[in-house]
Amino acid sequence: MMLFLARRTAALVVAVLLASFVVFLIPYVTPGDPVRKIIRSRVAGDAIDDSAVQALSAQLGLQDPLWTQYLRWLGRFASGDMGLSYTSRTPVADQVLPALWVTLSLVVMTLAVAALIAVILGIAAALNEGRAADKAITAVSQAFIAMPEYWLAPMLVLVFALELSVLPSAGWEGPTSAVLPVAVLALRPASHFTSAVREGMLDALGAEHVTAARGRGLSYFHTVRKHVIPNGLLPLTTLAAVWFAGLLGGSVIIEVIFAIPGMGRLLFDGVLNSDIPLAQGAVVVVVGLAVLLTTAADLVHGLLNPQVRLRHA
Amino acid sequence: MPEGLLIEDLHLSVRAPASRPVLSGVGLSVAPGEFVALVGASGSGKTMTALAVLGLLPPQIQAGSGSISLGGTDLLRASGAELNRLRGGRIGMLYQQPKRMFNPRMTIGSHLAEPLKLHRGLRGRQAREQALGLLADAGFDDPARIARAYPHQLSGGMAQRAMLAVAMAGQPELLLADEPTSALDKVLERQILELIDNQRRRHGLGVLYITHDLATVSAFADRVVVMDAGCVQEEGPARTVLGAPRTACARELLEACALTRRRIAAAGEPGPSRDILALHGVTKRFAKGRGARPALDNVSLSLREGEILGVLGQSGSGKSTLARLLVDVEAPDRGSIARTLSRADGRNDDGGAGSGVPGTEVQLVFQEPHDAFDPRMKLFASLEAPLRRQRACTADERRDRIHQAVRDVELEPGMLDRYPSQCSGGQLQRLTIARALLLDPAVLICDEATSALDAVTQRKVLDLLLRLHRDRRLSLIMISHDMNVIRYMSHRVAVLYQGALVELAGTADFFANPQHRHSKELVAAARAHPTACAAPVACSDLAACAHRGSGRLGTTRLLELVTSPDS
Repeated sequence: MMLFLARRTAALVVAVLLASFVVFLIPYVTPGDPVRKIIRSRVAGDAIDDSAVQALSAQLGLQDPLWTQYLRWLGRFASGDMGLSYTSRTPVADQVLPALWVTLSLVVMTLAVAALIAVILGIAAALNEGRAADKAITAVSQAFIAMPEYWLAPMLVLVFALELSVLPSAGWEGPTSAVLPVAVLALRPASHFTSAVREGMLDALGAEHVTAARGRGLSYFHTVRKHVIPNGLLPLTTLAAVWFAGLLGGSVIIEVIFAIPGMGRLLFDGVLNSDIPLAQGAVVVVVGLAVLLTTAADLVHGLLNPQVRLRHA
Repeated sequence: MPEGLLIEDLHLSVRAPASRPVLSGVGLSVAPGEFVALVGASGSGKTMTALAVLGLLPPQIQAGSGSISLGGTDLLRASGAELNRLRGGRIGMLYQQPKRMFNPRMTIGSHLAEPLKLHRGLRGRQAREQALGLLADAGFDDPARIARAYPHQLSGGMAQRAMLAVAMAGQPELLLADEPTSALDKVLERQILELIDNQRRRHGLGVLYITHDLATVSAFADRVVVMDAGCVQEEGPARTVLGAPRTACARELLEACALTRRRIAAAGEPGPSRDILALHGVTKRFAKGRGARPALDNVSLSLREGEILGVLGQSGSGKSTLARLLVDVEAPDRGSIARTLSRADGRNDDGGAGSGVPGTEVQLVFQEPHDAFDPRMKLFASLEAPLRRQRACTADERRDRIHQAVRDVELEPGMLDRYPSQCSGGQLQRLTIARALLLDPAVLICDEATSALDAVTQRKVLDLLLRLHRDRRLSLIMISHDMNVIRYMSHRVAVLYQGALVELAGTADFFANPQHRHSKELVAAARAHPTACAAPVACSDLAACAHRGSGRLGTTRLLELVTSPDS
């Protein structure tokens, strides 16, 4: 297990470093001179003195070799200094942290709702395999999995915010404002989870050890509770962690539509305003978190599955 | 109140729309302390009988008329709660694939805890002590370690012993054993049977032991019940049924177990010939790191043209690695493999050599016929796939060749329209052989090719292989853990033990006088079964066999039966 852990951690570090290097390169490959952008963000007026550009380049160490610059940037980034935003002229870190909190709460709520729906519907479908309930649940989840969020979100806003006026149409204040974004965002993972739970449950129900459990005298419900459901839900843990990582980046559309001040929104603004430090900070944090979660998913799977856990012991 | 298990006139059928009878009027009984063997080919209804006793029939099967009672309790009409108390409480069950019968997520100890709590109300410390005692009774030296182990950490034999501990946890009066040793080798099989017999004597346990292998149970059974096509065909004391079977199906089963009688006539000795496959000092290592044993260690071995070479070894001895090296899907780490496969006689007619495609001269037949076909492809497409790679063949030629190959393995080409799931294991194994033959190989490697088949089917497939060997001058490598198969088929026997070749000898010499310690163990284990020792090549061992066989089962009579010509 320790070896397994060490290997996964090494892979994680490499992935984050690779991502950060790509992000670091953004200013070098985007059109426009970043130095001029920095000066323009700090002084009023259009005229920029060439000597000021030279001086700032030297001061920023832009004449150094690329890798020295990268290491310096990485070092600062690691110590929490993500630079100054061009647009707001405040430290990027001060914007990223609250945004991260908002996005994390949105994603966690989404996953919780999706998993709850999926566990109930997936188990119900599997235990009624082939009957009307199963067919209905399967059909609905198949339909929702293909429903685009940028269409569904305005539709829900139209009905619940504009027609019925029961929920706010945008913003991030109070629990009611979370209902529509979570509902929209949870729909696709819930559909995906439901089919995964259904499949996992059917596999678990068909396993021969279930027959053996009945043969030991366990009642049907006892068998389902102890031998079928825990085994059947195992695939959900990995799937949820993968979706967690995906939703961190995938919530951009929802955050923009519902004007939620989260990471997606921050990234969107940073890119739109060519605010390179802001975009860099947001991307590295999201990517780092996503990689971390994927690794966590593998670990959780390993811990829950003795065949994986003991193989790496 | 009648004691023990009593099944009377039991009818089972597949529910409408298929509405096919599964059992038609089965009657049998197991008295307390009695060991009854329920014998029959696969599909004869043995397992359904056991599941009906447990009340765990698959949903598509329904019970019709008849009755099942255990100590006066009517099992067919018992309520759900009553059945739950009976299962694991008064009736214990052993299954064919013990490792699949444990929840992979739970330790052996937690499996034992369930019946202890449900049927005997034991928890915590008491339950733990009982569990360790049960594991010790099942022949484990270190019960505490086994209780902590997960199913995947146990071997097949250990898993079956652990399952026996679980089955005995509720202190049952009846043990149903559904082919518990069919997937194990003879040494382990013997061990499990002795454990079961031990429990029978200590607890007055009634045992209903289901098997297709008469030789297995002959040493233990008081009575034998022979089933075929959903009916009891013959029933009586073990001595009578095994010694003088009255029905054709009992005779066929008995004959299938005695794999030794026609052997010499069928295979014949290969003439003076050359080596067509030769391994020189081959070593193959999979696991890396210190102390890891190579899968094959410095093995030198050759196959002569027209020879049947038996490769004997227990699981993990490197048999399958050898097969994989020979068909070139793995490369040796050290040593070399020489192939001189172009046929000396240069036949090139229709039934002969000369497909001329390199790399197809050595073909493999696998153990699990159901795994060797794509479940979503019709059988014709599966058989056609290897031919498609040879451009020279037109669609009509391909069809003709496939039909010919299918007839060669004694099947009807009409069945090629089916999917693998619609065929029996025996049919599929014939088709695997047909598929291998399509490429016109010089050598066929059968890696435990008949281990998954019941005795009757196994006998038929082996005879088919012998015929192909003779008609096509096909060289065969028979890889098996089954001494009977090796003896029935081979000219020479090679024994693999922990990756090393420990013995190579002519079949008669080997069985009469094994040299290596491990070979001696294997031959001795095979001798422990009366039919197995009745080989003409091992006649000198008859006295020893008769001596070993327990008095209970008319060993000598059985020996006379299987050794006498044409009985």
